[in-house]
Amino acid sequence: MSSMISINNVNKWYGDFQVLTDCSTSVSKGEVVVVCGPSGSGKSTLIKCVNALEPFQKGDIIVDGISVGDPKTNLPKLRSRVGMVFQHFELFPHLTIVENLAIAQTKVLGRSKEEAEAKGIKLLERVGLKAHAHKHPGQLSGGQQQRVAIARALAMDPICMLFDEPTSALDPEMINEVLDVMTELAKEGMTMMCVTHEMGFARRVADRVIFMDRGHIVEDCSKDDFFGTPRSERAQQFLSKILQH
Amino acid sequence: MNYNWDWNIFFKSTGIGNEIYLDWYITGLGWTLALALAAWLVALLLGGLLGVMRTLPNKWLSGIATCYVELFRNVPLLVQLFIWYFVVPDYLPESVQIWFKQDLNPAVSAYISVVVCLGLFTAARVCEQVRTGIQALPKGQSNAAQAVGFTVAQSYRYVLLPQAFRVVIPPLTSEFLNVFKNSSVASLIGLMEILAQAKQTAEFSANIFEAFTLATLIYFTLNMSIMKVMSIVEKRVRIPGLMVEGGK
Ligand SMILES: Nc1ncnc2c1ncn2[C@@H]1O[C@H](COP(=O)(O)OP(=O)(O)O)[C@@H](O)[C@H]1O
Ligand SMILES: [Mg+2]
Repeated sequence: MSSMISINNVNKWYGDFQVLTDCSTSVSKGEVVVVCGPSGSGKSTLIKCVNALEPFQKGDIIVDGISVGDPKTNLPKLRSRVGMVFQHFELFPHLTIVENLAIAQTKVLGRSKEEAEAKGIKLLERVGLKAHAHKHPGQLSGGQQQRVAIARALAMDPICMLFDEPTSALDPEMINEVLDVMTELAKEGMTMMCVTHEMGFARRVADRVIFMDRGHIVEDCSKDDFFGTPRSERAQQFLSKILQH
Repeated sequence: MNYNWDWNIFFKSTGIGNEIYLDWYITGLGWTLALALAAWLVALLLGGLLGVMRTLPNKWLSGIATCYVELFRNVPLLVQLFIWYFVVPDYLPESVQIWFKQDLNPAVSAYISVVVCLGLFTAARVCEQVRTGIQALPKGQSNAAQAVGFTVAQSYRYVLLPQAFRVVIPPLTSEFLNVFKNSSVASLIGLMEILAQAKQTAEFSANIFEAFTLATLIYFTLNMSIMKVMSIVEKRVRIPGLMVEGGK
């Protein structure tokens, strides 16, 4: 399988504080990789390095053959091909739902307004929110907003998707509606890198699990190995804590 | 005290041509409006630009904007006016100097000085409001804007500024009101705006209380109408479903 995202010895500092230390891993085309680990371990930072929302000082990240750290890389163009979903949704509150889905299609990809809105509506139908097309984000529940955020990313026809704790800001009863959309995406063969603590989702959907601790990638193994015999003590502790409830 | 109250004074002849005192106030109102609107336009455009610059990661651009703000905010307005009116013209190229000092109607050259002075002074204050408005937005918004492929300029144009604009309407409204009040400094270099007209009315008619009461009423009415208009604007652009500031 060819590699979609390849992370090679990435190091990142905030001032004197090293957030990421020698992180290396890769995500193949069509693969679903779950990233987990305690809060503050650097998961968000790592995933934001993949589409250069965060710069890193050492190492290299290659996305679909393009080096993210290369100063000559056209980052907006690269980012437009990598979908990203955030913990707090980050829909554009001043735009309607369908405008949220259409704006980058028209301004970045140069699609016509009609084409972009038609595509937006189709994706809204897919995530079950067509009826809300002309509302504003603030008028939707958290779960609905996150489904719109996924649709917004999909509207750009991404080559892969990054998720940063997409369900951890949601009320429990809304988590599944979002996980269902993600599961469906994974089944369709989307390449996905998901920071999440939803171990049920990881068990069902992931191909591989990465466990991070204090800026290091401590475990990087197949799902079965991870849930069967995680090798590090930290990972075992983490799992027992998270699986308790 | 022997004071002759006379509220009809405004309808009496000034003794100059067939003008009544009210005509003076109308002329004054015209100058005040012309000053405040032009200075506000300068302040809004320049201040908006500087405010954006202060939020950019580029050290040079944000540094320039910071210096501007510190300079223009910390020198008293009157000092700035005297510099623009008495000092700066002497350092202009000779042809511009002659034009400014001799060819122009003195009222017009005073007008230009006040507009430049008040515009640049208020720009520093607008800059700070715009900067605060942008920085008050959740950090995730600029991340999200860039994640969908927007350039920095597009992020500002389509995501950050439309939201910041709504946040800064109330503080900008009070800056706009300040521009009207501050425009009265023009009276010190002889421009016959409302305050100057009131002073002149007081001197000519000896009805000093009435003269300044009317000026006060005009400023008050102007301010109230602006506040009314701005609160309508604020309601019109309010984002549906979004909590009011301070809520959440
Ligand atoms: N902008 C920043 N400046 C300084 N330190 C930061 C910044 N962002 C994150 N950190 C620190 O980096 C570490 C990793 O953060 P993060 O990647 O958000 O962790 P996670 O997503 O795993 O909870 C944390 O210790 C956090 O405090
Ligand atoms: Mg995080």
